[in-house]
Amino acid sequence: MSTTPVAAPTSERPLPIPTRESQPYWDGMREGRLMLQHCAGCGKVRHYPRPVCPHCFSMESTFKKAPTGGTIHTWTVCHHPFNFFFKASAPYIVALVDMDAGVRVNAPLRGVNEADLKIGKRVRLDFEPVNKEVTLPFFVSD
Amino acid sequence: MVHPLRETAAVSGIGETAYTRGTPKSGLALQLEASLAAIADAGLSPRDIDGVVPYFPGGGIAEDFIANLGLPDLKLSLFVPMGGATCVAAIQSAAMAVASGVCNHVLIAVGRTGYSGARVSTRLQQFPQFALAAEFEAPIGMFAPAQLYAQGARRHMALYGTTTRHFAEVAVVTRQHAILNGNVVMNKPLTVEEHHASRMISDPFRLFDCSLESDGGAAVIVSRTDRARDLRKPLVTIMGVAEGHPESPASIAQRPDLLEFGLAKAAPRAYDMAGVGPRDIDVAEIYDCFTFTVINQLELLGFCKKGEGGPFVMDGRIGLGGELPINTHGGLLSQGHVVGLNHVIELTRQLRREAGRAQVKDAEVGLVTGYGDMGDGSIAILRRAA
Repeated sequence: MSTTPVAAPTSERPLPIPTRESQPYWDGMREGRLMLQHCAGCGKVRHYPRPVCPHCFSMESTFKKAPTGGTIHTWTVCHHPFNFFFKASAPYIVALVDMDAGVRVNAPLRGVNEADLKIGKRVRLDFEPVNKEVTLPFFVSD
Repeated sequence: MVHPLRETAAVSGIGETAYTRGTPKSGLALQLEASLAAIADAGLSPRDIDGVVPYFPGGGIAEDFIANLGLPDLKLSLFVPMGGATCVAAIQSAAMAVASGVCNHVLIAVGRTGYSGARVSTRLQQFPQFALAAEFEAPIGMFAPAQLYAQGARRHMALYGTTTRHFAEVAVVTRQHAILNGNVVMNKPLTVEEHHASRMISDPFRLFDCSLESDGGAAVIVSRTDRARDLRKPLVTIMGVAEGHPESPASIAQRPDLLEFGLAKAAPRAYDMAGVGPRDIDVAEIYDCFTFTVINQLELLGFCKKGEGGPFVMDGRIGLGGELPINTHGGLLSQGHVVGLNHVIELTRQLRREAGRAQVKDAEVGLVTGYGDMGDGSIAILRRAA
């Protein structure tokens, strides 16, 4: 009886593949800006990007630069690297943050001790270029 | 007014393979082996199956069932893409199909090589429901359910004082039940200390908070009640059944309340259809992808108030002989991971009084839940009608 897993996890870094909807968000990241989608009809912000506003059903939208501050909604500390790429950085904190802009962003939180984590703690989003095309968000204490 | 679907369909056949870590069989072979067992259990011939709901991805599709089982006239082929909520939600679809007269006997089947085939880290990339997580969360190091659901668990702990001692209780009691069942992956006792000493996966989840990666197949047949009455086994009817979809269904991160998901919508509908409430439930098989998920669902099912799920599981309440025995087969945590179809099988066994050493005395009414993807939910309430 075989007991060897046949499909080992990949060691490649998972990177976003922007869609037609999300391209402006990722372009913003690369330029060091948090760009969020706003409905052209009712003005409400939505994240993640999608074609239709679920409030007024308008298909028109614009991306606007958003403030980068927020408060911790919750968090986890990732110990087991489900993708081998993250083995080197584990354990790492991932904070889910209520952005002042009205959406949530999930990103690594750096420079903070686990013991200091609490709901409501102020953090600020920063930008880390991964390659020429892709920049990813992370948080630091504010 | 009595709901038109109430007790018009029944679970007429159940079947499963051995649950193992390691198998030379394909997912499809496991799925078909379990299907043949379920068909034999019902006293049917494969020729009688005229509807198929295969769990996907993993295992086969309707075409494979026609080719292997020689189905002469398949009238319904469905996928229910709800991850771990699929199997119980499929009961709703199957019940609708037989109640409407489209089908006579619908087969729901899972075949899974969760250990010997693709593991959780790669398997989920096949799910379109995980596309947003793949784009926005995998790149920052959040992809596996253990990571995504851990944030909800951490918030529950912060808001309500839930502790890992509560999580451990679910793991320990579930293991006690598994040991009574001859077909399980984990058959040695587990202590609270061993749970607390197990390695951290994604805080607050430790290894023994997580369900198994295992190989196995499971199958269930849903038949119209009047046909099921004449079949081999004691009649177990579907009193109420529902699926529910949460706000922000493809992203937990953007959900207004991380602790409120599809089951919150489905449970009241299922209770209404069944004409019963939480107090009427003798045994519950709760989808246990994680220990905390059980605690959270017990709240959404109305067994306790929101935030009180931790204390609820203590003091023997969820064990055999307790007020609400749960996961009497060992669940996904200790028996095996066949996406919760083993929960449906166990509930049917309980109501047929076929549960052996894990039998809940005089079990008349029970419920089973599914929980999947980013918070889809499903529930079925079954009754011994023999």
